[in-house]
Amino acid sequence: MLRVDGLTVRYGPVQALSDVSFDARDGVITTVLGANGAGKTTLLRTLSGLVRSTAGRVSFDGVPITGRDPETISRMGIAHIPEGRGVISELTVDENLRLGTLHRLRRAERRGAMEEIYERFPQLGERRNRSASTLSGGERQILVIGRALVSRPRLLLLDEPSLGLAPLVTAQIMATIEELTSGAGLSAILVEQNARGALSVAHWAVVLNLGRVVIADEPSRLGADAELRRHYLGF
Amino acid sequence: MGLFVNILLSGIVQGMVFAAIALGLVLISRATGVVNFAQGAMGMFTTFIAFTLLTHGLGYWPAFVATLAIGFVFGALVERTLIRPLQGKPALNPVIVTIGLLIVLEGAAGSIWGNVARGFPAAFSQRGLVIGTTRVAFSHFDVFIVIAVAALVVGIVALFRWTDLGLRMRAAAFAPEVSRLLGIRVGRLFTLGWALAAAAGALAGLLVAPLSSFSPYYMDLNLVFGFTAAVLGGLVSPIGALIGGLVTGLAISFVGGYIGPDLEPLAALVLLLIVLMLRPQGLLGAAEARRV
Repeated sequence: MLRVDGLTVRYGPVQALSDVSFDARDGVITTVLGANGAGKTTLLRTLSGLVRSTAGRVSFDGVPITGRDPETISRMGIAHIPEGRGVISELTVDENLRLGTLHRLRRAERRGAMEEIYERFPQLGERRNRSASTLSGGERQILVIGRALVSRPRLLLLDEPSLGLAPLVTAQIMATIEELTSGAGLSAILVEQNARGALSVAHWAVVLNLGRVVIADEPSRLGADAELRRHYLGF
Repeated sequence: MGLFVNILLSGIVQGMVFAAIALGLVLISRATGVVNFAQGAMGMFTTFIAFTLLTHGLGYWPAFVATLAIGFVFGALVERTLIRPLQGKPALNPVIVTIGLLIVLEGAAGSIWGNVARGFPAAFSQRGLVIGTTRVAFSHFDVFIVIAVAALVVGIVALFRWTDLGLRMRAAAFAPEVSRLLGIRVGRLFTLGWALAAAAGALAGLLVAPLSSFSPYYMDLNLVFGFTAAVLGGLVSPIGALIGGLVTGLAISFVGGYIGPDLEPLAALVLLLIVLMLRPQGLLGAAEARRV
Protein backbone atom coordinates (compact mmCIF):
# COMPACT_ATOMS: atom_id res chain seq x y z
CA MET A 1 0.00 0.00 0.00
CA LEU A 2 2.40 2.69 1.24
CA ARG A 3 6.11 2.02 0.96
CA VAL A 4 8.61 4.38 2.55
CA ASP A 5 12.19 3.86 1.49
CA GLY A 6 15.21 5.69 2.90
CA LEU A 7 13.24 8.86 3.65
CA THR A 8 15.43 11.71 4.86
CA VAL A 9 14.32 15.23 5.79
CA ARG A 10 16.54 18.09 6.79
CA TYR A 11 15.40 21.47 8.15
CA GLY A 12 18.55 23.54 7.63
CA PRO A 13 21.17 21.95 9.87
CA VAL A 14 18.61 19.78 11.67
CA GLN A 15 18.20 16.22 10.47
CA ALA A 16 14.52 15.56 11.23
CA LEU A 17 14.33 12.14 9.56
CA SER A 18 17.24 9.88 8.66
CA ASP A 19 16.87 6.97 6.27
CA VAL A 20 13.38 5.98 7.44
CA SER A 21 12.02 2.85 5.76
CA PHE A 22 8.84 0.90 6.48
CA ASP A 23 5.73 -0.46 4.82
CA ALA A 24 2.16 0.31 5.77
CA ARG A 25 0.19 -2.71 4.63
CA ASP A 26 -3.28 -2.79 3.15
CA GLY A 27 -6.27 -2.77 5.47
CA VAL A 28 -4.40 -2.47 8.75
CA ILE A 29 -3.33 0.16 11.25
CA THR A 30 0.38 0.91 11.40
CA THR A 31 1.32 2.96 14.40
CA VAL A 32 4.36 5.22 14.59
CA LEU A 33 5.54 5.77 18.15
CA GLY A 34 8.24 7.77 19.82
CA ALA A 35 8.94 10.65 22.18
CA ASN A 36 8.49 14.33 21.38
CA GLY A 37 10.88 15.35 18.64
CA ALA A 38 11.33 11.81 17.34
CA GLY A 39 10.15 12.97 13.90
CA LYS A 40 6.64 11.50 13.92
CA THR A 41 4.84 14.65 12.79
CA THR A 42 7.54 15.43 10.24
CA LEU A 43 7.09 11.92 8.86
CA LEU A 44 3.35 12.44 8.30
CA ARG A 45 3.87 15.93 6.87
CA THR A 46 6.38 14.50 4.41
CA LEU A 47 4.06 11.65 3.40
CA SER A 48 1.26 14.12 2.63
CA GLY A 49 3.54 16.46 0.70
CA LEU A 50 3.63 19.41 3.10
CA VAL A 51 7.34 18.88 3.73
CA ARG A 52 9.85 18.13 0.97
CA SER A 53 12.19 15.23 1.59
CA THR A 54 15.90 15.60 0.94
CA ALA A 55 16.32 11.96 -0.02
CA GLY A 56 14.35 8.74 -0.24
CA ARG A 57 11.21 7.53 -1.95
CA VAL A 58 7.56 7.12 -1.03
CA SER A 59 5.17 5.12 -3.17
CA PHE A 60 1.45 4.64 -2.81
CA ASP A 61 0.02 1.52 -4.48
CA GLY A 62 3.22 1.37 -6.49
CA VAL A 63 2.89 4.97 -7.72
CA PRO A 64 5.74 7.24 -6.64
CA ILE A 65 4.44 10.25 -4.72
CA THR A 66 7.74 11.76 -3.60
CA GLY A 67 7.79 15.48 -4.32
CA ARG A 68 4.11 15.72 -5.31
CA ASP A 69 2.11 18.58 -3.84
CA PRO A 70 -0.34 17.96 -0.97
CA GLU A 71 -3.39 18.68 -3.16
CA THR A 72 -2.47 15.88 -5.57
CA ILE A 73 -1.61 13.43 -2.81
CA SER A 74 -4.91 14.18 -1.05
CA ARG A 75 -6.86 13.61 -4.27
CA MET A 76 -5.13 10.21 -4.65
CA GLY A 77 -6.83 9.12 -1.43
CA ILE A 78 -4.37 9.88 1.34
CA ALA A 79 -6.20 11.85 4.03
CA HIS A 80 -3.89 13.58 6.50
CA ILE A 81 -5.58 14.62 9.74
CA PRO A 82 -3.16 17.11 11.27
CA GLU A 83 -2.54 17.42 14.97
CA GLY A 84 -4.78 19.77 16.91
CA ARG A 85 -6.67 22.43 15.02
CA GLY A 86 -7.79 20.83 11.80
CA VAL A 87 -11.31 22.23 12.07
CA ILE A 88 -11.95 25.49 10.22
CA SER A 89 -13.77 27.38 12.98
CA GLU A 90 -15.00 30.15 10.68
CA LEU A 91 -17.17 27.64 8.80
CA THR A 92 -20.16 25.63 9.96
CA VAL A 93 -19.96 21.93 10.80
CA ASP A 94 -21.77 21.16 7.52
CA GLU A 95 -19.40 23.32 5.46
CA ASN A 96 -16.39 21.67 7.08
CA LEU A 97 -17.77 18.28 6.17
CA ARG A 98 -18.70 19.41 2.64
CA LEU A 99 -15.06 20.35 2.03
CA GLY A 100 -14.22 16.67 2.34
CA THR A 101 -16.60 15.72 -0.47
CA LEU A 102 -15.39 18.11 -3.16
CA HIS A 103 -12.68 16.11 -4.87
CA ARG A 104 -13.10 12.38 -4.71
CA LEU A 105 -16.89 12.04 -4.95
CA ARG A 106 -19.27 12.63 -7.82
CA ARG A 107 -21.69 15.49 -7.28
CA ALA A 108 -24.64 13.11 -6.89
CA GLU A 109 -22.87 11.08 -4.18
CA ARG A 110 -21.90 13.97 -1.94
CA ARG A 111 -25.04 14.49 0.15
CA GLY A 112 -25.44 10.77 0.76
CA ALA A 113 -21.85 10.44 1.88
CA MET A 114 -22.35 13.32 4.32
CA GLU A 115 -25.53 11.78 5.71
CA GLU A 116 -23.62 8.55 6.37
CA ILE A 117 -21.13 10.51 8.47
CA TYR A 118 -23.94 12.27 10.34
CA GLU A 119 -25.48 8.87 11.08
CA ARG A 120 -22.22 7.44 12.31
CA PHE A 121 -21.49 10.49 14.46
CA PRO A 122 -24.88 11.82 15.66
CA GLN A 123 -23.19 14.56 17.70
CA LEU A 124 -22.14 16.13 14.37
CA GLY A 125 -25.56 15.67 12.78
CA GLU A 126 -27.22 17.53 15.65
CA ARG A 127 -24.87 20.47 15.24
CA ARG A 128 -24.55 20.55 11.46
CA ASN A 129 -25.67 24.16 11.02
CA ARG A 130 -23.71 25.52 13.96
CA SER A 131 -20.40 27.27 13.63
CA ALA A 132 -17.58 24.78 14.11
CA SER A 133 -16.13 27.14 16.70
CA THR A 134 -18.90 26.09 19.12
CA LEU A 135 -17.76 22.44 19.19
CA SER A 136 -15.92 20.88 22.12
CA GLY A 137 -12.44 19.46 21.68
CA GLY A 138 -13.73 15.91 21.24
CA GLU A 139 -16.40 17.00 18.75
CA ARG A 140 -13.78 18.88 16.76
CA GLN A 141 -11.62 15.78 16.56
CA ILE A 142 -14.63 13.74 15.44
CA LEU A 143 -15.44 16.39 12.83
CA VAL A 144 -11.96 16.26 11.29
CA ILE A 145 -12.08 12.47 11.25
CA GLY A 146 -15.54 12.60 9.66
CA ARG A 147 -14.29 15.13 7.11
CA ALA A 148 -11.43 12.80 6.19
CA LEU A 149 -13.69 9.73 6.00
CA VAL A 150 -16.34 11.42 3.85
CA SER A 151 -13.80 11.66 1.03
CA ARG A 152 -13.63 7.81 1.01
CA PRO A 153 -9.85 7.76 1.45
CA ARG A 154 -7.64 4.71 1.02
CA LEU A 155 -5.13 5.72 3.67
CA LEU A 156 -5.60 7.82 6.80
CA LEU A 157 -2.67 9.65 8.33
CA LEU A 158 -3.64 10.42 11.91
CA ASP A 159 -1.47 12.74 13.98
CA GLU A 160 -2.16 12.33 17.70
CA PRO A 161 -5.94 12.02 17.43
CA SER A 162 -6.24 11.54 21.19
CA LEU A 163 -4.20 14.59 22.19
CA GLY A 164 -5.93 16.58 24.90
CA LEU A 165 -9.10 14.51 24.82
CA ALA A 166 -10.94 12.84 27.66
CA PRO A 167 -10.28 9.07 27.94
CA LEU A 168 -13.85 8.24 26.94
CA VAL A 169 -13.61 10.29 23.74
CA THR A 170 -10.20 8.81 23.01
CA ALA A 171 -11.71 5.35 23.34
CA GLN A 172 -14.52 6.22 20.93
CA ILE A 173 -12.07 7.58 18.37
CA MET A 174 -9.74 4.59 18.66
CA ALA A 175 -12.67 2.21 18.32
CA THR A 176 -13.89 4.05 15.22
CA ILE A 177 -10.48 3.88 13.58
CA GLU A 178 -10.21 0.20 14.43
CA GLU A 179 -13.66 -0.55 13.06
CA LEU A 180 -13.11 1.36 9.82
CA THR A 181 -9.85 -0.34 9.03
CA SER A 182 -11.19 -3.79 9.80
CA GLY A 183 -13.47 -3.52 6.78
CA ALA A 184 -12.05 -3.50 3.29
CA GLY A 185 -10.09 -0.80 1.60
CA LEU A 186 -8.93 1.57 4.35
CA SER A 187 -5.55 1.61 6.03
CA ALA A 188 -4.19 4.00 8.62
CA ILE A 189 -0.91 5.29 9.89
CA LEU A 190 -1.47 6.34 13.48
CA VAL A 191 1.01 8.62 15.20
CA GLU A 192 0.61 8.62 18.96
CA GLN A 193 2.34 9.57 22.16
CA ASN A 194 -0.23 7.46 23.95
CA ALA A 195 1.70 4.30 23.05
CA ARG A 196 -0.40 1.93 25.12
CA GLY A 197 -3.64 2.90 23.34
CA ALA A 198 -2.02 2.86 19.91
CA LEU A 199 -0.43 -0.57 20.41
CA SER A 200 -3.79 -1.99 21.44
CA VAL A 201 -5.39 -1.18 18.05
CA ALA A 202 -2.43 -1.41 15.67
CA HIS A 203 -1.27 -4.40 13.64
CA TRP A 204 2.23 -3.15 13.11
CA ALA A 205 4.33 -0.66 15.03
CA VAL A 206 7.31 1.47 14.08
CA VAL A 207 9.31 3.18 16.82
CA LEU A 208 11.17 6.36 15.92
CA ASN A 209 13.90 8.02 17.94
CA LEU A 210 15.73 11.18 16.86
CA GLY A 211 14.52 10.70 13.30
CA ARG A 212 15.59 7.07 12.94
CA VAL A 213 13.66 3.82 13.02
CA VAL A 214 14.67 2.03 16.22
CA ILE A 215 12.55 -1.04 15.68
CA ALA A 216 9.53 -2.17 13.69
CA ASP A 217 7.60 -5.17 14.89
CA GLU A 218 4.24 -6.56 15.93
CA PRO A 219 2.62 -4.53 18.72
CA SER A 220 2.38 -7.48 21.11
CA ARG A 221 6.12 -8.08 20.94
CA LEU A 222 6.95 -4.40 21.41
CA GLY A 223 4.58 -4.15 24.36
CA ALA A 224 6.26 -7.17 25.96
CA ASP A 225 9.75 -5.69 25.77
CA ALA A 226 10.16 -3.92 29.11
CA GLU A 227 13.37 -2.12 28.19
CA LEU A 228 12.00 -0.79 24.92
CA ARG A 229 8.86 0.38 26.69
CA ARG A 230 10.88 2.21 29.30
CA HIS A 231 13.27 3.83 26.81
CA TYR A 232 10.99 4.88 23.99
CA LEU A 233 7.35 4.33 24.83
CA GLY A 234 7.11 5.75 28.32
CA PHE A 235 4.94 3.16 30.01
CA MET B 1 -33.99 70.46 3.33
CA GLY B 2 -32.94 70.43 -0.33
CA LEU B 3 -29.29 70.69 0.69
CA PHE B 4 -29.69 67.86 3.16
CA VAL B 5 -31.27 65.55 0.56
CA ASN B 6 -28.62 66.36 -2.02
CA ILE B 7 -25.80 65.75 0.46
CA LEU B 8 -27.44 62.48 1.48
CA LEU B 9 -27.80 61.31 -2.13
CA SER B 10 -24.29 62.24 -3.17
CA GLY B 11 -23.01 60.58 0.00
CA ILE B 12 -24.72 57.34 -1.02
CA VAL B 13 -23.25 57.48 -4.53
CA GLN B 14 -19.74 58.19 -3.24
CA GLY B 15 -20.22 55.52 -0.61
CA MET B 16 -21.02 52.90 -3.27
CA VAL B 17 -17.83 53.78 -5.12
CA PHE B 18 -15.80 53.51 -1.92
CA ALA B 19 -17.54 50.19 -1.27
CA ALA B 20 -16.31 48.87 -4.64
CA ILE B 21 -12.74 49.88 -3.76
CA ALA B 22 -13.11 48.47 -0.25
CA LEU B 23 -14.48 45.21 -1.64
CA GLY B 24 -11.31 44.81 -3.72
CA LEU B 25 -9.17 45.43 -0.64
CA VAL B 26 -11.23 42.93 1.35
CA LEU B 27 -10.99 40.19 -1.29
CA ILE B 28 -7.21 40.52 -1.40
CA SER B 29 -6.80 40.85 2.33
CA ARG B 30 -8.91 37.73 2.88
CA ALA B 31 -7.13 35.69 0.25
CA THR B 32 -3.52 36.59 0.87
CA GLY B 33 -3.49 38.72 4.02
CA VAL B 34 -2.08 41.67 2.07
CA VAL B 35 -3.34 45.24 2.04
CA ASN B 36 -3.09 46.20 -1.61
CA PHE B 37 -1.99 49.82 -1.74
CA ALA B 38 -2.02 49.60 -5.55
CA GLN B 39 -5.77 48.82 -5.60
CA GLY B 40 -6.63 52.37 -6.69
CA ALA B 41 -3.73 52.67 -9.13
CA MET B 42 -4.67 49.38 -10.81
CA GLY B 43 -8.20 50.73 -11.34
CA MET B 44 -6.71 53.99 -12.64
CA PHE B 45 -4.55 52.09 -15.13
CA THR B 46 -7.42 49.98 -16.47
CA THR B 47 -9.53 53.14 -16.79
CA PHE B 48 -6.81 54.61 -19.01
CA ILE B 49 -6.95 51.41 -21.08
CA ALA B 50 -10.72 51.92 -21.35
CA PHE B 51 -10.05 55.51 -22.40
CA THR B 52 -7.73 54.28 -25.17
CA LEU B 53 -10.29 51.70 -26.32
CA LEU B 54 -12.98 54.40 -26.43
CA THR B 55 -10.82 56.85 -28.39
CA HIS B 56 -10.13 54.07 -30.91
CA GLY B 57 -13.84 53.87 -31.58
CA LEU B 58 -14.94 50.95 -29.43
CA GLY B 59 -18.46 51.43 -28.04
CA TYR B 60 -18.99 52.23 -24.35
CA TRP B 61 -20.38 48.84 -23.30
CA PRO B 62 -17.86 46.68 -25.18
CA ALA B 63 -15.11 48.84 -23.67
CA PHE B 64 -16.73 48.53 -20.23
CA VAL B 65 -16.81 44.72 -20.37
CA ALA B 66 -13.33 44.52 -21.88
CA THR B 67 -11.96 46.73 -19.10
CA LEU B 68 -13.41 44.52 -16.38
CA ALA B 69 -11.90 41.47 -18.12
CA ILE B 70 -8.53 43.21 -18.47
CA GLY B 71 -8.69 44.13 -14.79
CA PHE B 72 -9.39 40.48 -13.92
CA VAL B 73 -6.36 39.25 -15.88
CA PHE B 74 -4.21 42.09 -14.56
CA GLY B 75 -5.02 41.13 -10.96
CA ALA B 76 -4.16 37.49 -11.63
CA LEU B 77 -0.84 38.50 -13.20
CA VAL B 78 0.08 40.75 -10.27
CA GLU B 79 -0.59 37.92 -7.83
CA ARG B 80 1.39 35.38 -9.82
CA THR B 81 4.41 37.53 -10.62
CA LEU B 82 4.72 39.95 -7.68
CA ILE B 83 2.89 38.54 -4.67
CA ARG B 84 3.33 34.74 -4.97
CA PRO B 85 7.14 34.86 -4.74
CA LEU B 86 6.81 36.65 -1.38
CA GLN B 87 4.83 33.86 0.26
CA GLY B 88 6.39 32.90 3.57
CA LYS B 89 8.45 36.09 3.66
CA PRO B 90 7.92 38.84 6.28
CA ALA B 91 4.45 40.41 6.05
CA LEU B 92 5.95 43.81 5.28
CA ASN B 93 7.39 42.65 1.93
CA PRO B 94 4.13 42.45 -0.06
CA VAL B 95 3.06 45.79 1.46
CA ILE B 96 6.21 47.43 0.11
CA VAL B 97 5.72 45.70 -3.26
CA THR B 98 2.15 47.01 -3.63
CA ILE B 99 3.32 50.54 -2.76
CA GLY B 100 6.02 50.11 -5.41
CA LEU B 101 3.40 48.94 -7.90
CA LEU B 102 1.31 52.03 -7.13
CA ILE B 103 4.26 54.30 -7.94
CA VAL B 104 5.21 52.37 -11.09
CA LEU B 105 1.65 52.38 -12.44
CA GLU B 106 1.18 56.11 -11.83
CA GLY B 107 4.54 56.85 -13.45
CA ALA B 108 3.78 54.59 -16.42
CA ALA B 109 0.31 56.08 -16.92
CA GLY B 110 1.84 59.56 -16.81
CA SER B 111 4.43 58.74 -19.44
CA ILE B 112 1.97 56.90 -21.73
CA TRP B 113 -1.08 59.16 -21.49
CA GLY B 114 0.36 62.35 -19.95
CA ASN B 115 -0.17 63.93 -16.56
CA VAL B 116 -3.21 65.92 -17.58
CA ALA B 117 -6.72 65.83 -16.20
CA ARG B 118 -9.29 64.59 -18.73
CA GLY B 119 -12.98 63.97 -18.86
CA PHE B 120 -14.32 60.42 -19.03
CA PRO B 121 -17.71 59.53 -20.51
CA ALA B 122 -20.49 58.23 -18.30
CA ALA B 123 -22.75 55.33 -19.25
CA PHE B 124 -25.90 57.38 -18.66
CA SER B 125 -26.95 61.00 -18.33
CA GLN B 126 -25.31 62.86 -15.45
CA ARG B 127 -28.10 65.46 -15.20
CA GLY B 128 -29.88 65.30 -11.88
CA LEU B 129 -33.25 63.55 -11.83
CA VAL B 130 -36.35 65.65 -11.35
CA ILE B 131 -38.50 64.51 -8.46
CA GLY B 132 -41.81 66.38 -8.31
CA THR B 133 -40.67 69.81 -9.37
CA THR B 134 -37.17 69.88 -7.95
CA ARG B 135 -34.01 68.63 -9.54
CA VAL B 136 -31.91 66.55 -7.11
CA ALA B 137 -28.20 65.74 -7.19
CA PHE B 138 -28.88 62.18 -8.31
CA SER B 139 -28.59 61.31 -11.99
CA HIS B 140 -29.26 58.26 -14.13
CA PHE B 141 -25.55 57.54 -13.93
CA ASP B 142 -25.71 57.70 -10.12
CA VAL B 143 -28.52 55.14 -10.22
CA PHE B 144 -26.26 52.98 -12.38
CA ILE B 145 -23.41 53.33 -9.86
CA VAL B 146 -25.65 52.19 -7.01
CA ILE B 147 -27.02 49.23 -8.98
CA ALA B 148 -23.63 48.15 -10.37
CA VAL B 149 -21.90 48.12 -6.99
CA ALA B 150 -24.88 46.51 -5.25
CA ALA B 151 -24.88 43.79 -7.92
CA LEU B 152 -21.14 43.29 -7.42
CA VAL B 153 -21.52 42.92 -3.65
CA VAL B 154 -24.50 40.58 -3.98
CA GLY B 155 -22.62 38.53 -6.57
CA ILE B 156 -19.56 38.15 -4.34
CA VAL B 157 -21.67 37.30 -1.28
CA ALA B 158 -23.62 34.70 -3.30
CA LEU B 159 -20.37 33.24 -4.62
CA PHE B 160 -18.96 32.86 -1.10
CA ARG B 161 -22.14 31.63 0.50
CA TRP B 162 -23.78 29.32 -2.00
CA THR B 163 -21.19 27.84 -4.32
CA ASP B 164 -18.54 25.16 -3.91
CA LEU B 165 -16.03 27.55 -5.40
CA GLY B 166 -16.90 30.11 -2.73
CA LEU B 167 -16.62 27.48 0.00
CA ARG B 168 -13.18 26.56 -1.33
CA MET B 169 -12.17 30.24 -1.39
CA ARG B 170 -13.27 30.75 2.20
CA ALA B 171 -11.53 27.58 3.39
CA ALA B 172 -8.34 28.55 1.56
CA ALA B 173 -8.39 32.00 3.13
CA PHE B 174 -9.06 30.82 6.69
CA ALA B 175 -6.90 27.69 6.74
CA PRO B 176 -4.58 27.32 3.75
CA GLU B 177 -2.67 24.30 5.01
CA VAL B 178 -5.74 22.33 6.08
CA SER B 179 -7.32 23.21 2.72
CA ARG B 180 -4.36 21.85 0.79
CA LEU B 181 -4.63 18.61 2.76
CA LEU B 182 -8.26 18.43 1.59
CA GLY B 183 -7.14 18.67 -2.04
CA ILE B 184 -8.02 22.34 -2.53
CA ARG B 185 -5.61 24.11 -4.89
CA VAL B 186 -5.11 27.08 -2.62
CA GLY B 187 -2.68 28.92 -4.88
CA ARG B 188 -5.20 29.13 -7.72
CA LEU B 189 -7.86 30.49 -5.37
CA PHE B 190 -5.49 33.22 -4.16
CA THR B 191 -4.96 34.16 -7.81
CA LEU B 192 -8.73 34.19 -8.31
CA GLY B 193 -9.14 36.45 -5.25
CA TRP B 194 -6.70 38.97 -6.70
CA ALA B 195 -8.35 38.72 -10.12
CA LEU B 196 -11.83 39.41 -8.71
CA ALA B 197 -10.46 42.25 -6.61
CA ALA B 198 -8.80 43.87 -9.60
CA ALA B 199 -12.02 43.53 -11.62
CA ALA B 200 -13.85 45.30 -8.75
CA GLY B 201 -11.12 47.96 -8.85
CA ALA B 202 -11.55 48.34 -12.62
CA LEU B 203 -15.30 48.83 -12.07
CA ALA B 204 -14.59 51.45 -9.38
CA GLY B 205 -12.24 53.26 -11.76
CA LEU B 206 -14.86 53.39 -14.52
CA LEU B 207 -17.51 54.62 -12.09
CA VAL B 208 -15.38 57.33 -10.44
CA ALA B 209 -13.75 58.77 -13.57
CA PRO B 210 -16.87 60.52 -14.96
CA LEU B 211 -17.72 62.10 -11.57
CA SER B 212 -14.89 64.60 -11.88
CA SER B 213 -11.81 64.47 -14.09
CA PHE B 214 -9.34 61.65 -14.33
CA SER B 215 -5.54 61.66 -14.37
CA PRO B 216 -2.85 59.21 -13.18
CA TYR B 217 -3.51 60.34 -9.60
CA TYR B 218 -7.29 60.54 -9.51
CA MET B 219 -7.69 57.33 -7.51
CA ASP B 220 -5.24 58.24 -4.70
CA LEU B 221 -7.77 60.05 -2.55
CA ASN B 222 -10.45 57.48 -3.41
CA LEU B 223 -8.10 54.75 -2.17
CA VAL B 224 -7.81 56.56 1.18
CA PHE B 225 -11.61 56.64 1.40
CA GLY B 226 -11.89 53.05 0.19
CA PHE B 227 -9.31 51.96 2.76
CA THR B 228 -11.28 53.76 5.48
CA ALA B 229 -14.39 51.93 4.30
CA ALA B 230 -12.62 48.56 4.30
CA VAL B 231 -11.23 48.99 7.82
CA LEU B 232 -14.63 50.23 9.00
CA GLY B 233 -16.15 47.05 7.62
CA GLY B 234 -13.55 44.87 9.29
CA LEU B 235 -11.43 44.00 6.20
CA VAL B 236 -13.03 40.56 6.01
CA SER B 237 -16.60 40.74 4.80
CA PRO B 238 -18.10 42.00 1.51
CA ILE B 239 -21.17 43.26 3.38
CA GLY B 240 -18.82 45.04 5.78
CA ALA B 241 -17.17 46.73 2.79
CA LEU B 242 -20.59 47.91 1.58
CA ILE B 243 -21.61 49.27 4.98
CA GLY B 244 -18.16 50.77 5.52
CA GLY B 245 -18.36 52.42 2.10
CA LEU B 246 -21.75 53.95 2.80
CA VAL B 247 -20.72 55.22 6.25
CA THR B 248 -17.56 56.75 4.82
CA GLY B 249 -19.39 58.25 1.83
CA LEU B 250 -22.08 59.81 4.00
CA ALA B 251 -19.60 61.08 6.57
CA ILE B 252 -17.41 62.89 4.06
CA SER B 253 -20.41 64.11 2.09
CA PHE B 254 -21.90 65.76 5.18
CA VAL B 255 -18.56 67.20 6.26
CA GLY B 256 -17.94 68.45 2.70
CA GLY B 257 -21.45 69.86 2.32
CA TYR B 258 -21.90 71.55 5.68
CA ILE B 259 -18.33 72.44 6.69
CA GLY B 260 -16.20 72.50 3.56
CA PRO B 261 -14.91 70.13 0.85
CA ASP B 262 -11.30 70.69 1.92
CA LEU B 263 -12.00 68.82 5.13
CA GLU B 264 -13.20 65.61 3.43
CA PRO B 265 -9.87 63.71 3.61
CA LEU B 266 -9.46 64.87 7.20
CA ALA B 267 -12.95 63.62 7.99
CA ALA B 268 -12.05 60.19 6.59
CA LEU B 269 -8.91 60.04 8.72
CA VAL B 270 -10.80 61.12 11.85
CA LEU B 271 -13.41 58.44 11.11
CA LEU B 272 -10.64 55.87 10.66
CA LEU B 273 -9.03 56.97 13.93
CA ILE B 274 -12.31 56.75 15.86
CA VAL B 275 -13.06 53.27 14.51
CA LEU B 276 -9.55 52.01 15.23
CA MET B 277 -9.78 53.34 18.78
CA LEU B 278 -13.29 52.15 19.62
CA ARG B 279 -13.68 49.05 17.48
CA PRO B 280 -10.36 48.00 15.94
CA GLN B 281 -11.89 44.87 14.45
CA GLY B 282 -14.27 47.05 12.40
CA LEU B 283 -18.04 47.21 12.50
CA LEU B 284 -18.51 43.60 11.37
CA GLY B 285 -15.10 42.01 11.83
CA ALA B 286 -14.37 39.42 14.50
CA ALA B 287 -11.70 40.34 17.01
CA GLU B 288 -8.36 39.06 15.80
CA ALA B 289 -4.86 40.31 15.35
CA ARG B 290 -4.19 41.77 11.95
CA ARG B 291 -0.92 42.39 10.19
CA VAL B 292 -0.73 45.25 7.72
